[in-house]
Amino acid sequence: MTIDVLTFVGQSVFGYGQSAEELLARLDAADVERAVICPVKPRAYHLAAANDAVAEAAAQQARLIPLARVDPNLEEDALRELDRAVGTLGARGLFLHPWEETFRVNDPRLDPLLAHCAELQLPVVIATGYPWLSEAAQVGDLARRFPSVAMVMTHGGQINISGLGQADAFAVLQKHPNVSIDTSGVYRQDFLEDVAAELGPERLLFGSNSPRMDVRLEVQRVRWLTVDEASSALILAGNARRVFRLDSSARPS
Amino acid sequence: MIVDSHAHVDEVPALGWIDPASSLVSLMDQAGIDRAVVMTYTELPAVNPSALDYLADQIASYPDRLIGYVRVHPWYPEALDLIERAFGEFQMKGVKLHPVGNLSHPASEVSLRVIRRAAAHRAPVLFHCGDEALTTPLQIAQAAEAVPEANIILGHMGGYFHVDEAIEVAARYPNIYLETSAMPYPNQIRRAVEVVGAQRVLFASDGPGCSPRLEVHKVRLAGLSASDEEQVFASNIVELLEAVKPRL
Repeated sequence: MTIDVLTFVGQSVFGYGQSAEELLARLDAADVERAVICPVKPRAYHLAAANDAVAEAAAQQARLIPLARVDPNLEEDALRELDRAVGTLGARGLFLHPWEETFRVNDPRLDPLLAHCAELQLPVVIATGYPWLSEAAQVGDLARRFPSVAMVMTHGGQINISGLGQADAFAVLQKHPNVSIDTSGVYRQDFLEDVAAELGPERLLFGSNSPRMDVRLEVQRVRWLTVDEASSALILAGNARRVFRLDSSARPS
Repeated sequence: MIVDSHAHVDEVPALGWIDPASSLVSLMDQAGIDRAVVMTYTELPAVNPSALDYLADQIASYPDRLIGYVRVHPWYPEALDLIERAFGEFQMKGVKLHPVGNLSHPASEVSLRVIRRAAAHRAPVLFHCGDEALTTPLQIAQAAEAVPEANIILGHMGGYFHVDEAIEVAARYPNIYLETSAMPYPNQIRRAVEVVGAQRVLFASDGPGCSPRLEVHKVRLAGLSASDEEQVFASNIVELLEAVKPRL
């Protein structure tokens, strides 16, 4: 079993996108059974419509697991939309994109949202590594304030082709047990191996970042890691089951 | 045949990177890579005055597999003599510049004098080209414009966020080559071939930190024609390196 924890469905105003059918075909081509799907920021800018779209895709296809996306700049409206997406639409977690929505991930304005996630035991996936807005140290600051919220930093916690953010990403993982990383596009596969060896394979989740990245390459990045079989099974699926509570049929209440 | 245009051999305890040639060669074997261009992580003459002798020594253990590039710090005038020694005494074939490490703008006079010296040998200059200040495609393109006779390779072809820009500057300057290592988009390799032509796209792994096997897989996923793929994997870099004159 392989579960991809970072994919997008819908047409983004930023020029990327895919339908649920296109995603499923890409997953099939890479022997990936299930995927967590995040809404994109649509051309009309309203994330509510995008939340509806991923919920509908997931309702039609049990392989897909929907997350809610909200814009924390909207404050109480963001909180209301999170409630709607979780309560009415069945979202299994919150997705935050500080770069595309433009907010600093550790801005205190996010506190009501994060407190709500803590109450609902909702995991939060954070598009991480964007300069000034979602550097690993900033996610770490948020994780310090909300230690009971499971947080996933995308892209191994940094986006720098020299790996200049990896020391910070590693330090955040080391200090905050509620934080893990997905593997999409990670520079240096040995960073992933070091995290598995030193902090445990529980801290890594396979994610492809499709459609911007290629599921076929990203899954191979994980399947070819030098880790034992049990660790590999955790990274490819077991950790996703735990973080997104896939074995619990109950929706958060 | 596969020739890797950018890989590393060095031992840097401060970074925890202990990568003698043997580490790389076993990964090359696993990935089916015949030969690799190798360079140190550290620069000459600072911070590592012994980098050239170390690299030459390591290459001497695998003379049929490894080809050296000398990595210099442009601030130091003696970098030019080190280039002469690397090419003349050790048959190295190119120069590596990493502006993040040495804070030298690619088009600053100190960098340009290094690039001109490499060009005098018809040797390529490989730049780290990512998302950081001093390494973006538009910054390196200024050097390509200033020294049009130099062959300049954009290592990582722009990293995560500057790949479109790397392809754009390569389309504009015929002396710019794009190198595929580490950046995560197979479809951008295909687009690079379509826009600038297969003859200016070079396969590289940035091993052993990045997995050479995964880097080869990435190029195969780009879905190039057999002849384009052959150029990217081997003949382009072979042709570039054959032109290098060891002595002026």
